[in-house]
Amino acid sequence: MKKSAAFVLTLVAALGLGACGTSNTSSGSSSTPSVIKAAWVYVGPITDHGWTQAHDEGRKYVEQQLGSAVQTTYKENVPEGPQVAQVIEDLIRDGNKIIFGTSFGFQDAFYSEAQKHPDIKFEQATGFKTAANMGEYFGAAEDADYLTGMALGAASKKGKIGFVAPFPIPEVIREINAVTLGAQTTHPGATVQVVWTNTWFDPTKEKQAAQSLLSLGVDAIGQGQDSPATGDAAKAVGVPWSGYDSDQSSYAPDIWLTGTVYHWGPYYAKRVKAALDGSWKMDNYYGSIADGMIGLAPFGKSVPAAIQSQITAKMDAIKGGTFYEFTGPLKDQTGSTHVPAGTKLTLNDLFSMDWFVQGVIGSPKGS
Amino acid sequence: MVAAGQVPAVTMRGISKRFPGVRANDQVDFEVLPGEIHALLGENGAGKSTLSNILTGLYRPDEGEILLRGKPVVFQSPRDAIEAGIGMVHQHFRLAASFTVAENLVLGHRDAADRGLLLEPRMVEGRITDLSQRYRMPVNPRARIWQLSVGEQQRVEILKALYRGARILILDEPTSQLTPQEADDLFQTLRLMAGERRAVIFISHKLEEVMAVSNRVTVLRGGRVIGTVMTKETNTRELARMMVGREVVFTQKKEGPAQPERQVALELRGISANGDLGTAALREVNVTVHAGEIVGIAGVAGNGQRELAEVITGMRRRTAGQVAIRGRVMRGGDPLEPIQWGVAYVPDDRLGTGVAPSLSIADNLVLKAYRRAPISTFGVLHPRRIRAHATELMQRFNIGASTSQTPARQLSGGNIQKVLLARELSSRPLVLVANSPTSGLDVGATDTVRKLLLEAAGRGVGILLISEDLDEILALADRIAVLYNGRITGIVERQHADVEQIGLMMAGAA
Amino acid sequence: MIRIERRLTEARWLVVAVPLGSLLGAAILSSIILFLTGHDPLATWARLLDRGFFASGAMSATLVTATPLLLTGLAAAAAFRMQTWNIGAEGQLYLGAIGASGIGIALRGQPALVIIPAMVIAGLATGAAWAAIPGVLRAYTRTNEIITSLMLNYVAGLLMTYLIFDSHSFWRDLSSFTARVFPQGKYLSEAASWPSFPIGGAVIPLGLLLGVVAAAVLWLVYTATRFGFEARVIGDSRAAAHYAGIRTRRKIVAVMALSGALAGLGGASEIGDFRHVLDPRGLQQASFGYAGIVVAALARLNPFAVIVVAILLGGLSNAGFSLQGATFPAGLVGTLQGLILFCALAGELLVHYRVRIGRPGRKAPPLSQVGVA
Repeated sequence: MKKSAAFVLTLVAALGLGACGTSNTSSGSSSTPSVIKAAWVYVGPITDHGWTQAHDEGRKYVEQQLGSAVQTTYKENVPEGPQVAQVIEDLIRDGNKIIFGTSFGFQDAFYSEAQKHPDIKFEQATGFKTAANMGEYFGAAEDADYLTGMALGAASKKGKIGFVAPFPIPEVIREINAVTLGAQTTHPGATVQVVWTNTWFDPTKEKQAAQSLLSLGVDAIGQGQDSPATGDAAKAVGVPWSGYDSDQSSYAPDIWLTGTVYHWGPYYAKRVKAALDGSWKMDNYYGSIADGMIGLAPFGKSVPAAIQSQITAKMDAIKGGTFYEFTGPLKDQTGSTHVPAGTKLTLNDLFSMDWFVQGVIGSPKGS
Repeated sequence: MVAAGQVPAVTMRGISKRFPGVRANDQVDFEVLPGEIHALLGENGAGKSTLSNILTGLYRPDEGEILLRGKPVVFQSPRDAIEAGIGMVHQHFRLAASFTVAENLVLGHRDAADRGLLLEPRMVEGRITDLSQRYRMPVNPRARIWQLSVGEQQRVEILKALYRGARILILDEPTSQLTPQEADDLFQTLRLMAGERRAVIFISHKLEEVMAVSNRVTVLRGGRVIGTVMTKETNTRELARMMVGREVVFTQKKEGPAQPERQVALELRGISANGDLGTAALREVNVTVHAGEIVGIAGVAGNGQRELAEVITGMRRRTAGQVAIRGRVMRGGDPLEPIQWGVAYVPDDRLGTGVAPSLSIADNLVLKAYRRAPISTFGVLHPRRIRAHATELMQRFNIGASTSQTPARQLSGGNIQKVLLARELSSRPLVLVANSPTSGLDVGATDTVRKLLLEAAGRGVGILLISEDLDEILALADRIAVLYNGRITGIVERQHADVEQIGLMMAGAA
Repeated sequence: MIRIERRLTEARWLVVAVPLGSLLGAAILSSIILFLTGHDPLATWARLLDRGFFASGAMSATLVTATPLLLTGLAAAAAFRMQTWNIGAEGQLYLGAIGASGIGIALRGQPALVIIPAMVIAGLATGAAWAAIPGVLRAYTRTNEIITSLMLNYVAGLLMTYLIFDSHSFWRDLSSFTARVFPQGKYLSEAASWPSFPIGGAVIPLGLLLGVVAAAVLWLVYTATRFGFEARVIGDSRAAAHYAGIRTRRKIVAVMALSGALAGLGGASEIGDFRHVLDPRGLQQASFGYAGIVVAALARLNPFAVIVVAILLGGLSNAGFSLQGATFPAGLVGTLQGLILFCALAGELLVHYRVRIGRPGRKAPPLSQVGVA
């Protein structure tokens, strides 16, 4: 017992000695006004082929666009909890002036750090808390989800579609509803069966969920997850698949249909530039297909040309404002009318959506 | 049988091996001729095991050389030794219990694996049958090891060595777990092997069997060779003197009739119990031990001895019968109960059960007393009192260790047994159950243990002495009971004891 | 031929020399890797130490990460000392968090002096109860506690997820706007926030203080009480314990419960000190329970060494986030952290074992020349 304590103490002493005299060399915060340091805090790994990777591509886009005027960095795999604040403090110590967070679970840490550091700009994706120096941003994925649903409906022969979904929350529920409505335009009466994984990113769980759906006989499968593990499961049985977050076609090109993608780059570039020239103002931004934040991944070779042009036409209609998928009449799972004919759901309705449209199999309250 | 001028099968020259603080082998010269049974005799710690471990490639000598049939060899590993034709039968068998005899023979055998014949039972079985007939070691190749008796398992070990082509066979204390009859069969087998000009090295500390089976004897003491003699030119007395370095006369119980008017200390009435495998191990055992009396339980291990000791000490549940201490009947099945009622126990498994091996001597000395004042009060231990207690007992029982903080596992067998006896006897018991208290101990330690047992009996402790060593029981016990197949097959007063009669009872023949 | 042998005696100078040597080894090995991957080794090491321990606020941040590691490390040490392999500190920590947050929500409106002790007790109790399950299974049905305690980690994780995501449980916040956007637990009142104590530039959370006290208590229990004596005997030899009349079954359950209580306290501290809400995702992502096993192993199950190792690992973890970035991949950070741990363990091994490189010659070198005897 005594020996091991001595062992550890010696280790500590050695660490301490090693630290003397070198601790001043850490990088200071001597950024000139013409160069801005920007940082991103990610909940997942940048190689997730999904959510985090899409954001990191946005970060690289900023570097391309702003060149030597910006110096970017990122922290990946940051667990939600007390370490978020520590990571932010560390980034501020390194001289970062604008910090983006890409998980809803970072919201509280970002908000309290924003209170502590009024001179630093904070931006937080998917949340809603704002302050003079903290903005929020997200995109209307549901529009692209509707188009993805059209591709899924056309690809399904039996009209039985599966969907691997993360959490029973409004954001995901409206996504599933949009997919279902889209699928029913190309395959009337199509159903979408949902399995909840209760995780954003866990390839093993996602794959298991996808396999359980495939074993139930779905013949087209979509996802709201951050990894392409669903495609992995679909590839094994040759079932058409739609992705999410990024263009994941390279994973399984033969079965790839399309997928909702986020183009964070232009938004990030705009905000970093604003922080650099002093014009940054708090905003609660909800991007769309029209402004390019939301897009559709390139079609796979299994999507027939006729369907491709049908989907493209619908996309143009959405961009032009002549079509909105959440327009009544919309029936809920019991078949009763939930949204009367002609009524358009508001953003507020979307943000608190807790019901499934007719054709969705599963509970909007979770498994 | 031993002709001069032959090239020896094994020659070990100037072998030395040191361990920290010990010269296990010191300039040992040793040779074995083909066709010879050569006994290696010595007390525990004399260096016999070290020497055989060097010959089987487990250790490498610090100095010296090994020659096989006149050619120098260097073993990098036990595998090299096996390939050079050296086979070892360990005291504790190294067989896979759930595998068959045939499977055990090919297990880990390089030739079999190389030819992809990992398991070709038929072929192996044929060879086993051939070998076992040739050397008169009947064994069923398809039997699983756990189904075999100890004697049969030993045959499997020998067959394994022969199967691997051993020309030189080393047996480490091979008779320690055999009945006299099984031992005779083994000697027969060894003579047959020697007749085929194989060299047999027979490691033992039992004088009689060395005299019975060997051609020559090399005696080791303190890591050195004391001498090598022709068996027919020596006798047990001379060998004992060489082995111990002095004349040996074991302590004996003074003659005198037992005193039947004394109080009954331990009474067993109709005890039955199951063994570990759930089969009946004890059948209606009745034994009475009076205060100050030593009752010996003779018999070959595996006939219910351990179960008997465990039932009395609460470590095993009985299926029928009663155990009474001074007339009070115990509930049973709880080791704490007999401890509190004054039953002390020296188990046969000294190092695993009798002491906690990694704990210090001091801790082991309070292994039972820790729950009472003055060692602990209100759940708190008193380290100073524990140390004082240890110092006192170490002195009184002459326990050889530098400090009371030495872990028990670093002690010699004799000193471990002294720790055990010091703890058990210092608790002032009414009854002492001692199972094989001297097995594996050297002559000096054996004598000490015997003295301690006699002293305890003199103070009025009723002692149940379980031992395979009939000489020991004859030397110490007032009455002798023989346990065979879970039954007491007879109880005799020592004065009327007839060794042959007891031997027959031990083998179940009477 | 290379052989590893146990040393019969452990030389005193090794106890000092080996940690220094292993640290040097870690420094050299990692410097080579850093150099090959185009990073400045000196600057990297300096930054690691600076951001882990010496920069202003760094020590406080390190203590935040170290607090749960300390408690789960003690939990592992408490069980492992008796050779009872409780791998379930992870799940016991979750249960502690569930218990502490539950009582914290129930006592809303009460003063801190009521809520905080109640949370501590609830964390200890729920963690102990959860650990008692594999304890009872081990003691009375001889079910391997490694497997059962490990499996219960998943059950505990699912239970937390169920409470917040899949049900309208007492723990779940159903009213706030945030909770409608994303499911979350009920936040505890201000009075349920555990106090912290600034000492010499570092802020010490209550959980850490409780951990230090727990370490001292654990040490005392194991060295100076009947309970500890019995645990030591059982840990060394179950047969000897049975022989000595020790109630091994009850003891196994008790030690598992003690271990679980410490892990549960870790969960309570996560709620009371840092999170103030039952956070299934964050707690599961952190894996404090499994890290605690590493802490206990590095500390050789010595409770006081656990304190030091937990702080070291906490600093290493925090500094790891500081190191990584656009030019310093997370994989490299993991490699460095792994190298440091590996060298520490390898050095530890060298104190007890020696590597012998034998030449195929006639005479092996005498032991005295190897530098031991």
